[in-house]
Amino acid sequence: MIAAVWLRAPARARLHALRELYRRFFGENTPDARGRRLLTEWLSPAQRAQFEQHRYFDVVGCDTGKTYRIHYGTAANVHEVDEAGIARMGWCFVPSGFLVPGDVMLAQKIALETDEKAALALANRFPPATHSEHFYRRPF
Amino acid sequence: MATQIVMDQTGDTRHEFDPGNAEALARAEQRFRELTGAGFTAAFRTGPGEVTRIRSFDPTVQETLFYPRLVGG
Repeated sequence: MIAAVWLRAPARARLHALRELYRRFFGENTPDARGRRLLTEWLSPAQRAQFEQHRYFDVVGCDTGKTYRIHYGTAANVHEVDEAGIARMGWCFVPSGFLVPGDVMLAQKIALETDEKAALALANRFPPATHSEHFYRRPF
Repeated sequence: MATQIVMDQTGDTRHEFDPGNAEALARAEQRFRELTGAGFTAAFRTGPGEVTRIRSFDPTVQETLFYPRLVGG
């Protein structure tokens, strides 16, 4: 009896390890995970820390010097914020096609940091209270 | 090796090439032209979190990112 348990335990542990490896491998190779990985590679250390803690990060527009908060999401996820971090205006612009959140957020960051006026010229504005903080805090 | 990263529905697709190989370089330049011609924006990192856009192919850039044309949401 004890011998049987002893013999089975390593096999169970191996199976568990294999399942964990499988889960991690496929979990980290989904489009979503790939998009998040690419995004974090291209963020500044401060933006990365902010994103990991709050699921958003701030960027400074290259033309106006205004601050924009990019929340995790694929639409209506960019807010212009004031010095106190309060959202004053929502801006909706996204890359065409059906991209994952990480890719959308990275494209928005690059657009605002390198060609802010062009990005805002094609964006649709929306009142910042459209979505609550809870909306943006859904788990990955 | 240099890399061209193209955002798509899989997250991204990466094309690696040897800048020292004339044929591979020509293919990379052709890809650059096709993507930017189709409305993609090309950018590369100049430092941690710092990004610059490019409008013409630069063979010295190690990693170029392409994202599709932006539209109002």
